[in-house]
Amino acid sequence: MREIRIALAAAALALLAGCGTAAPEPAAYQPPAAPRADATFNTTDVMFLQMMVTHHTQGLEMVKLARTRQTSEEVAMLAGAIEVTQTTELEVMQGWLNTWGEPTTAGHDPNAHASHGGLPITGADEMAALRKASAAQFQTTFLNLLIGHQHNAVEMARMETDGGVNPQVKDLANRITLSRNEQIKQMLGLVAA
Amino acid sequence: MRRLVAYPLVALGLVTASLAVASPASAHGYVSSPPSRQALCASGRVADCGPIQFEPQSVEGPKGQRNCHGGLAQFAVLNDNSRNWPATSVGSSVTFSWVLTARHSTSSWEYYLGGRRIAFFEDGGRQPNATVSHQVSLAGFSGRQTLLAIWNIGDTPMAFYNCIDLQIGGGGPAPSPTAAPSPTARPTASPTARPTVRPSSPAASPTTRPTGTVPGGAQWAPGTTYRTGDEVTYQGVRYRCRQSHTSIVTWEPSYYTLALWLPI
Repeated sequence: MREIRIALAAAALALLAGCGTAAPEPAAYQPPAAPRADATFNTTDVMFLQMMVTHHTQGLEMVKLARTRQTSEEVAMLAGAIEVTQTTELEVMQGWLNTWGEPTTAGHDPNAHASHGGLPITGADEMAALRKASAAQFQTTFLNLLIGHQHNAVEMARMETDGGVNPQVKDLANRITLSRNEQIKQMLGLVAA
Repeated sequence: MRRLVAYPLVALGLVTASLAVASPASAHGYVSSPPSRQALCASGRVADCGPIQFEPQSVEGPKGQRNCHGGLAQFAVLNDNSRNWPATSVGSSVTFSWVLTARHSTSSWEYYLGGRRIAFFEDGGRQPNATVSHQVSLAGFSGRQTLLAIWNIGDTPMAFYNCIDLQIGGGGPAPSPTAAPSPTARPTASPTARPTVRPSSPAASPTTRPTGTVPGGAQWAPGTTYRTGDEVTYQGVRYRCRQSHTSIVTWEPSYYTLALWLPI
């Protein structure tokens, strides 16, 4: 009933306006608001966000560098889409940490993973490998580095899924898991081509 | 009105699969090019691989084995030659590239073909670089072959195993994978309708996706190349693409993708 009344009103408006196209002027678009995080959180939520802020920053450096080098169009499109979506994720994560009064970065002990049997590949390692790659090697080097980088993101997201309590942060961890696995699929196809 | 974007069921499926396999600490590397069997599973080119598709870097087992799955029962599919693994056409010299997720100190890298070791790279316990590749001669071999590549860790008794199916020299195109990729046949990929068991459909393979202009009014879909200016409908709202990309789940229109999709 209500829809019909609205449609009639819209039609009447259009007639009044003497407008041949029936569509009424749409209401001004309201962009979606940045997602907010509840005030309830634990140390895992904070640590995950801080680690992901660092990890995102490193990933952004890599995809920005790719812009300055020769790649296929598909790789350039993928790097560009990762850049803009991870930039937004980074801003959201920093916003949540700020709201909670927590630092947006954590002092990271580079040897924290040594007891797991291996050192992580740091952003500095990744950037050094990328910078020294020749034009012929760049795309393969970039894809292999970014695949490994995104595998690491999935591993970090698992920590939040298992130990975090904040529903929005856990949802972001789910988003990251799904998104990075899909990116890895694309990149494995590109690196094998 | 705020639209919640949540993927709880999907993520639950993912995490359950992952936890059943290994802790993240034991996940550290595989051959991506030419693609190893675990890479073919992770990329979706080969379907129904089970948990390995989420952890291609986890095929870790005691040193000295000559199999594709490192002796891990949950990855036994990698050892199953009846799966008709697609073979990559190569010449007589091949560069093997690895994805590493941690830099284990490394004893050596070994490549086996036809029951004998054809290449050996001694690292003497050093940490590898962030990426690793080796050029290996396949001289004397031809036709369809399965190569075994092994990463021997320096400070543990463990190694990482990869089988790589090759069509060496000349030869026609590689046999097709067990299921032909079909970019349109992915009904389960919608984030709202996804079952807890993640589909292992090969549909999203970037090499087979449709390209070019998307017909106006089409529903947003993953695995599609959208060009700047293309228009889609998503949850009843029309959007225009602002930046060309090949879509994936999580890149549908939302707050996180305002740089990709503008409502119109």
